[in-house]
Amino acid sequence: MKCLGRIAALLFLVTTANAATPVFEIEIRNHLFQPDTVIIPANTKVKLIVYNRDATPEEFESYELNREKVIMGGRKAIIFIGPLAPGEYPFFGEFNPQTALGKIIVKDGNDAD
Amino acid sequence: MMLINSVVIVLREVLEAALMVSVLLAVSRILRLDTRWLRIALVVGLGGAAIYGHFLDSVSELFEGVGQELFNALLQFSVLVFLSVAVFLIARQRGQRCDKHTFLPLVMALAVAVAVTREGAEVLIYVTGFWQMSDFLSSVGVGSFTGAAIGFSVGVLFYYLLLAVSPSRALLVSIVLLSLAASGMSAQAMGLMIQADWISVAAPLWDTSGFIAEDSLTGHLLYALIGYEASPSAIEVATYAASIAVMALSAILGRTVFAKIESDVS
Repeated sequence: MKCLGRIAALLFLVTTANAATPVFEIEIRNHLFQPDTVIIPANTKVKLIVYNRDATPEEFESYELNREKVIMGGRKAIIFIGPLAPGEYPFFGEFNPQTALGKIIVKDGNDAD
Repeated sequence: MMLINSVVIVLREVLEAALMVSVLLAVSRILRLDTRWLRIALVVGLGGAAIYGHFLDSVSELFEGVGQELFNALLQFSVLVFLSVAVFLIARQRGQRCDKHTFLPLVMALAVAVAVTREGAEVLIYVTGFWQMSDFLSSVGVGSFTGAAIGFSVGVLFYYLLLAVSPSRALLVSIVLLSLAASGMSAQAMGLMIQADWISVAAPLWDTSGFIAEDSLTGHLLYALIGYEASPSAIEVATYAASIAVMALSAILGRTVFAKIESDVS
């Protein structure tokens, strides 16, 4: 089982390296997302790295993106999103939904970055 | 406002497990099984949730940072397996009598223990994470307790509704409810595999969020009951359909195996 896991992890590493998935980073500080708006290219899978700089846990959640992931205090989370059609996709911190609000804006190839 | 958040967070997690427990408990009562399995399953499940919650940050870092998704997916797929075996064994029963059932309580206990581990870990992380807050008792504490109480009440309601109808109808309804819940969980598990990038997808097949929003009351209830997802991908829909097929096949096999034994005896 352990060996199988390693092979799977290796395969995974190779595939992501080949695909050259664009990476975007977000921080959580004082229950706020920084930046709270991330612009990503349309129809492209991207890797989101969310750093939780607070001491308390947070859950990255988005109904529009179909994503949810618990991020412990002081830790980071890797979340893959897309490929997505152009538009706005809000996300929030489920544990602090009044303040921890953000959105992913998906733009067509040429306008992104 | 913190109070309302806590109610929603805890209710969402508790409701899913409470519905499954109430259906399985009703089945146990109808089949006159010893219900001791539930106590053991809850203790094991809560213990599992505490351990999983404690090690969540280490688990998350496995597999290039997607260990949390993969472990949750594994837990949810195994609930499907246990419930399909349970449905097979339940479908074998006609009416209420059964005495030679040591295996059914075991698979029911396994399904509940795994589901409680999965749902309970998040609740424990939430509650313990905000433990040190000064107004904890007036917000997170009360809210979480209220959420758990509402979830528990809905479970109790389901339990008595099932016991109110005739035993054979209640068993059929139970099989349908367990099939829908298990299929919802396996579709969610597939969603986690997508989130982990172990499976690639195209755009969602449809979007019904304008019709029933996932964060509405109906959305939350349907999520707990049938695994409602407003904008599923093709592979999640296929997983849902395949799981329903597996559950239906288990029930049909259970029925026919029973019928065969019955006719052999007579």
